[in-house]
Amino acid sequence: MDAPARPILVALGSEARALRLIQAAFRMARERNAPWLAVHIATASGQGTEDEEQVQVWLQEAQRLGAETRIVRAPTLAQGLADLTRSTQAQALLLGRSRNRWPWARLGHSTADELQRRGLDASLEVLDDPPDAAWEEAPGTPFNATVGAFLVLAACTGLAWLVPREGNLSLVLPVYLLGVAFIAHRWGQGLGVLASALSVLLYNFLLETPRFSQAAGHWPNLLFFLAMLLAAQLVMGLLRRLRLQAREVQRRELHMASLYLLGRALARSRTPEEIAGAASEHIGRTFRAKAWLLFPEAEGWRALPTPVEDRDLPPPVELGPSLAVGEREGDPLEPLPQGGAFYLSLTGTDRSEGVLRILPSTDGGLPPRTWELLKAFAVQIALALERLRWLEEARRAQVDRETERLRNTLLGAIGHDLRTPLAAIHGAAGTLLLPGELQESTRRDLLAMIQDESERLAHLLGNLLDLTRLESGVLQAQKEWQPLEEVVGATLGRLDRRDGAVPIQVDLPADLPLVPLDAALMEQVLINLLTNAQRHAPGQAAELRAWSEPGRLCLEVADRGVGVPEAFRERIFDKFFRLPGAGEGGVGLGLAICRAIIQAHGGEIHAEARPGGGTTFRIDLPLPGEPPALPEGAP
Amino acid sequence: MTEHPGGPASSPRILIVEDEPALRRFLVPTLVGQGYQVLTAATATEGLALARSHNPDLVLLDLGLPDLDGMEVLRQLRAWSRRPIVILSARNQERDKVRALDQGADDYLAKPFGAAELLARLRVALRRTLQTEAGETVVASGGLRVDLGRRVVTLDERPIHLTALEYRLLEALVRRNGRVATHAQLLADVWGPGGAGNTHYLRIYMAMLRRKLEADPTRPRHFITEPNVGYRLDLDGPG
Repeated sequence: MDAPARPILVALGSEARALRLIQAAFRMARERNAPWLAVHIATASGQGTEDEEQVQVWLQEAQRLGAETRIVRAPTLAQGLADLTRSTQAQALLLGRSRNRWPWARLGHSTADELQRRGLDASLEVLDDPPDAAWEEAPGTPFNATVGAFLVLAACTGLAWLVPREGNLSLVLPVYLLGVAFIAHRWGQGLGVLASALSVLLYNFLLETPRFSQAAGHWPNLLFFLAMLLAAQLVMGLLRRLRLQAREVQRRELHMASLYLLGRALARSRTPEEIAGAASEHIGRTFRAKAWLLFPEAEGWRALPTPVEDRDLPPPVELGPSLAVGEREGDPLEPLPQGGAFYLSLTGTDRSEGVLRILPSTDGGLPPRTWELLKAFAVQIALALERLRWLEEARRAQVDRETERLRNTLLGAIGHDLRTPLAAIHGAAGTLLLPGELQESTRRDLLAMIQDESERLAHLLGNLLDLTRLESGVLQAQKEWQPLEEVVGATLGRLDRRDGAVPIQVDLPADLPLVPLDAALMEQVLINLLTNAQRHAPGQAAELRAWSEPGRLCLEVADRGVGVPEAFRERIFDKFFRLPGAGEGGVGLGLAICRAIIQAHGGEIHAEARPGGGTTFRIDLPLPGEPPALPEGAP
Repeated sequence: MTEHPGGPASSPRILIVEDEPALRRFLVPTLVGQGYQVLTAATATEGLALARSHNPDLVLLDLGLPDLDGMEVLRQLRAWSRRPIVILSARNQERDKVRALDQGADDYLAKPFGAAELLARLRVALRRTLQTEAGETVVASGGLRVDLGRRVVTLDERPIHLTALEYRLLEALVRRNGRVATHAQLLADVWGPGGAGNTHYLRIYMAMLRRKLEADPTRPRHFITEPNVGYRLDLDGPG
């Protein structure tokens, strides 16, 4: 094996075999752990005959599999490949070789042979086509073919003329046999039969009379020619079969390649729009036709990837049943022509996923021989749609499970935390209603407790509601540019109104920039963080400070509590998570809400150990772009 | 409907339109205890009928009623009555609150609220009818004194210089007499019809007013923020 860093080179044309070359090169590159390079050599002689678009498709495919790709101009294929092999110091060169239609061309120097001769320092891997894949129907026009056939027969006659004439047919016959077989192979059966008959006449008129005049009436001669005719027929039949097979092989390879490409594009699609885009693109390239996916709606269709005028589409009630499996004669997958377009049912494993609409660009419509491939396309598209639907269903099921789990946790937590204040309120109210006089101080105590506990209940319910609404997306941050000072002011105002408020030290620079915030939500965050701080460090001042950095605004709420062990610093933001050993109060929702709100603002919140003891909650809020212009006269 | 005579016939008459019996049970004795005459209605239809027949001095209107949208009740009341209307809203209905205020409600109370808060809001709202809108030209609270007639603002006896826009904002808040003003209302009052949408202007001027007129701008005593709704000038509060 060569040095691993030397690349593997693969030469691609526009033919379908390029896919096999790409896969072989990919495998080789992986086995040898080497980079690989896919090239297309554009030669002057190849111009116009190569399908540029198809070449791009193959190069993209190679790129997707990790290849570097390149298009190189060169006088000949061999020249271009040799130069590139040298300049990239490739360790191996892969190229395809088709069996040439002309036998003598096969004897001449093919690109591979020429490369061999140039003595490259690279191993040469030649991938042959599957047997006979390159046999193609001759494209000659009838006129050219007739002329050609005449020329061949003339050549045969000329050759026969040279044969020593002893009235012996054994040498003349093979010459004509060869000629007729060639004509049949090259220009088709019709001309072959004609050529057989013509050769009999030629033989009789040109060769036999006057030179083999006695032979004219001879039975053996006639029999020989009849035999020749038969042999020519046989050869022609054989050739035709071979040719058909070859074409079939090639067609299959093309089908495989296009199906493979479609399947890959579909596998990457994550939305119906993407599936429709991929389907439209690949059908367009393979069938030269426009394609849409139609999904039935309340009235009419939803067409993807581009909208279609409703009047161009048959109503669903008409199309639906006629495409439905079992209601049509014959193959339910057969395209249904209607109004210039073809419709195929996209039937998945259990139900119809939609309808494929195809509008051929040619007037002739879709030739029936392409139906098989089209049906395969339709099945792939249907399966892709079905996969998407199942994924969506699975996701929904997952969400349901998650909701269910959350609901259970919620019920557990609420069961306890709601019942405690309720029990206290209920008990206190009962005591107050008892007949008999209560001491004034007791009465006030009970009433104060009712108030405290109901406030706790309200807070808990508010948190629960907010979290649910934030997570379900019902509650969205209505961000407006505003000074942080205002939100802090509103928060402190609300906290000061509560009993047992603890001093909070605030440090806000006067030149803080405006920041896009939802004031009500951010107030909730600050209240949660500050009440947390007061709960965990009772009697000690909590600190709130803020400053701006390029692109963001930072906010810290710090306390002097016992601190949060490092292992829990992320988990404290989980729903219903409470620090082990944490006292009464709180259900473990406050910080979860803080995180949900900050995330709705596109920011981050973290807990950090505070130097000197305690915890710091740090919030980073994005400052996207420039704040709006300030009014005149503003500082 | 139910009538709960509280004080003398001259005392203010309050109509409560609220479908929750528990809330009515709390509201009625609280208000009656303060000497108000109280009427209650459990549905919007009943409330509208009572409002027409008894012409109350103030309506406490719940936004979530069983038969009609509270917003619609508000619209119908405002079609003929200029008496104060105070909205009772559930938590987190900022948008509804703002809409109600912009459609002519005088103030709002977010549930749950305490008796002290309720009574304070009612006093402020009733004050509007007891005084003519431009009647009182001098307001004072704590060290802050605003004389609208002479256009003089003093803080602890020191005259404070305000820019023209700052003064207009202060004036708009003073004229609302303790009632909440939505962002849209203040923008229209100060900047005129062109001011709509420039809420951040308002916030900046509010910050400047606070810096000039509040002892601690991060703990405002007078210029109270109602998050996502607007502002109120509190001249009854402590300090």
